[in-house]
Amino acid sequence: MAEEFNTQGMLDIYLFENRQLLERLQEIVLEQKDEDCFDEDGINEIFRTMHTIKGSSGVMMFDDITKLSHKLEDVFYYLRESKPQNVPHMELVEYVLKVSDFINEEMDKIENGDAADGSSAELVDEIDAFLTSIKNGEGEKEKDIKENVYVEPQQFYIAPMATSASHFYKIYLTFAPDVSMANVHAYKVIYSLKEIAEDLLHYPEDIISDESSADEILENGFKILLQAQCGEEQLRELIKEGYDIKKVDIVECTGREFQQGFDSFGTEIRIDLESSVEEIEAQAEAKEKAAEAAKVKENAEKKTIAPGDFVIESKEPGKGKKLARDKSKKQEKTAFISVDVQKMDQLMDLIGELVISESVVLQNADLKVPGLKLDNFNKAAAQMTKISTDLQNVIMSMRMMPLVNTFQKMNRIVFDVSRKLEKDIEFEMSGENTEVDKNIIEHISDPLMHLVRNAVDHGIETAEERLAQGKTEKGKVTLWAKTESGKVWIGVQDNGKGLDREKILAKARKQGLLDRTKEDSEYTDKEVYQFITLPGFSTNEEVTEYSGRGVGMDVVVSNLQSIGGSLEIESTPGQGSLMILKIPLTLAIIDGIIMGVGKSRFVLETGAVKEFINIQKNRLIQQPNGREFVMIRGEGYPVLRIGEWYKLHDYEANLDDGMLVMVEAEKKTICLFVDRLIGNQEIVVKPIPDYIKKVKGLTGCTQLGDGSIALILDPAGLVE
Amino acid sequence: MRILLAEDDFVTRKFMTNFLGKYGDCDVAVDGMEAVDAFMMALEEEEPYDLVCLDIMMPVMDGYQALVGIRNLEKERNIPSEKAAKVIMTTALNEEKNVKMAFELGCTVYSGKPIDQDKFEQVLKKFGLI
Amino acid sequence: MSDLVTQHNKYVTFKSGNEYFAIKIEYVNEIIVYQEITEMPESEDYIKGLINLRGKIIPVIDVRVRFKQPELPYNDRTCIIVITVKDMVVGLIVEKIAEVVEITEDNILDSPSLGNMDKAQNRYVYGIGKVGESVKLLLDPEKLIKDDDWSVLEQMTENTTEEGE
Repeated sequence: MAEEFNTQGMLDIYLFENRQLLERLQEIVLEQKDEDCFDEDGINEIFRTMHTIKGSSGVMMFDDITKLSHKLEDVFYYLRESKPQNVPHMELVEYVLKVSDFINEEMDKIENGDAADGSSAELVDEIDAFLTSIKNGEGEKEKDIKENVYVEPQQFYIAPMATSASHFYKIYLTFAPDVSMANVHAYKVIYSLKEIAEDLLHYPEDIISDESSADEILENGFKILLQAQCGEEQLRELIKEGYDIKKVDIVECTGREFQQGFDSFGTEIRIDLESSVEEIEAQAEAKEKAAEAAKVKENAEKKTIAPGDFVIESKEPGKGKKLARDKSKKQEKTAFISVDVQKMDQLMDLIGELVISESVVLQNADLKVPGLKLDNFNKAAAQMTKISTDLQNVIMSMRMMPLVNTFQKMNRIVFDVSRKLEKDIEFEMSGENTEVDKNIIEHISDPLMHLVRNAVDHGIETAEERLAQGKTEKGKVTLWAKTESGKVWIGVQDNGKGLDREKILAKARKQGLLDRTKEDSEYTDKEVYQFITLPGFSTNEEVTEYSGRGVGMDVVVSNLQSIGGSLEIESTPGQGSLMILKIPLTLAIIDGIIMGVGKSRFVLETGAVKEFINIQKNRLIQQPNGREFVMIRGEGYPVLRIGEWYKLHDYEANLDDGMLVMVEAEKKTICLFVDRLIGNQEIVVKPIPDYIKKVKGLTGCTQLGDGSIALILDPAGLVE
Repeated sequence: MRILLAEDDFVTRKFMTNFLGKYGDCDVAVDGMEAVDAFMMALEEEEPYDLVCLDIMMPVMDGYQALVGIRNLEKERNIPSEKAAKVIMTTALNEEKNVKMAFELGCTVYSGKPIDQDKFEQVLKKFGLI
Repeated sequence: MSDLVTQHNKYVTFKSGNEYFAIKIEYVNEIIVYQEITEMPESEDYIKGLINLRGKIIPVIDVRVRFKQPELPYNDRTCIIVITVKDMVVGLIVEKIAEVVEITEDNILDSPSLGNMDKAQNRYVYGIGKVGESVKLLLDPEKLIKDDDWSVLEQMTENTTEEGE
């Protein structure tokens, strides 16, 4: 795990390594919390973890963390050497978790650029007292154990100050055209900026002795690159527009742009009306290629550094610092697990482009010349397809991560909340090795947390209540996960008291949410339960620390919706509730069947299609309410005419001349009526641009081999 | 306390001399070579520097080379490690390999830029310089 | 070497109906000729659908329809101005593209001074620019592609479709 992270910042490494250690620490603790005491391996591992954290925190000068981990290390050192009996296990478990929490909190602060200002003194004293009490309990067995000696580090690393507070600005000053000695005015500006400047460059450079700079400034303006902590308003205060300074343009930029100096002062957008479209496209392509080539050069690797690598050419004002040896910092390929998510996204995009490109090649009109012998070509194409498919699979698997870590977090939450509320609750999980896209994991963490808290806080009754009902004293919260029909289902189940239908209806009525024309009994249980996902809705009389403010469930649902998911609620009064999160697996590349309706093209995932049927219109049954059904092998299936449904043009209306596609989703089957089938190919799922509002039954779009755009149908949305 | 500052950038120099001036007399060098020369001069005059602040990216000689130079001068005169000057590298470079090399070559503290003034003071106290 | 000044005050202009409109160049990515549009069901009348721009799928709107003018058939003079507004890339189908002009601030008048407040297009116009003898109506791209009632409508539709799951 902790291999040569040569290219990472010191702080990043420190945070990453320690977080990993603390995660492992929490795992051990939760595994062994119900035992009588920690086993030998556990003690050793906890000792080593604390020792490592103490060491690195010492070098980084995080004193509170150092002292705290040192103290806990002492405890486990004693446990290891002396092997005392009857150590109060629960207390010890809590201390370990408290230490872990403190360190994590401090690391959060550090990560945000804030100071690690928490004091561990109190906790250190508590643990010290704890250790003393254990030692006293073993009074007779005063073994001769070596002191856990602490050797202070001799070398220290001071992390740079909240670098996020540093801003970079490009400032452009225009002087009034009749100003004399503009260079002197410019110098006055520079002088006042130096007060707050961390770094400052200007062009023209010599404004003190070179008088021609005045002309340059009047003609082309005065340019400044500034690094400072202050905000734009403060800058404008310092550079007051007056009779001499006509205009001040201030643009915030990135550190990198700052380093590039005045070579790239302002981006260009050139609108070319003369060239034809082909020329414009060719230019755009050439620019892209040039940018890529430049990037490749930048990534030329250097494995090791040596003294002398950082000598700079004399620094010219106006240019960023350039090394005498043109070195670039980056990229060493290491056995490193954490990869920049942006790069992963880029990779995904590229593989998508590759798939599209492949289709364009394989379906090229040029190949459709009759009589062409394509045997060798086809063989080669098949090989290429195979490799590209393998590539896709590997890349997609890289983004997939098992839910294990998220579930473990929930384990901890159940433990914490149940302890605080003095409820005895067991935590069970299954399917934790189900893998989902990393993006999804980030979005379900909070919703899951909320649901789990709810289950513990409101779902599960107190021990007395449970016994009174003849239930087991220990409550249970189960977390499970599985994949089904292109979605991943995550369930949070509790064996508590379930949802109270009447209470919910009453509250809904009070809030005016009920449809006055509908009888209470007409609402299905599912519909009633969905009310609790509305904003501000909470039937809890008291607001507890963990839940009840009614701001939770609606946020859960909107979080899910943002990744295309939904929440289903089931409940049995007296027996418990089940919350199911259903989230589409963002399969970016799917195998699809392309269909045509009028001038439009649609795609359905192959897996959802059961069969294709050519039917005669006399098999069609019309219902009085306008709905149509078709009888196939004795079963009736509703028919959905895509052309009509989406109000397209020029589509086939005659059932004889079109095609029925039988589609299944969520245990329902319907038949879609389309004009014709066009083919079957791998398609890259692209989201429909945000600008366009959601359409029921459509879940994305894609580019086909001939360059046209096809809309992707969502079976679940259609079967409704 | 006698302090030697090696920094090639004017604005940073101004800031550092202001900042370090609080703790003692501060001499300034503008590149790595000057820094080593200055260090040697101080040794010969028997008024060695207690604290040396080295920028890494400098003309003529970089901070690492200067560090090697300074440590070699001390070795030559058999100056024991407790009496050796404390060297603080100040730089915007933050990667682990830069830090590692600095420590290996004998620097005492590696401080990223912008400088965390509180921690800086803390470390000076730790070494008994203030 | 160009700097901040060269692109300031420059506008791309186009003709729609009897008037000329202008959009600040900072919003404009590129101008392309009309190409095949894939229809998008259940969208506003002015949202014509999607186009494939070198692999990127972007929505396009018809400016004439947006201005509630009668639609014209597309011909080889029809162009699409691709703009980026608040991270959204949208194409504007315009009748006829005109030149890139520079309009300095002192040549801009506020729009309320115009009559015809009921003309649909005036909701998107924030000023009038004088260029030589002619005037160009300055368009606010944000308002052009999105206005407030639209987003409320969107929210409403979202809520109703997601509730009865």
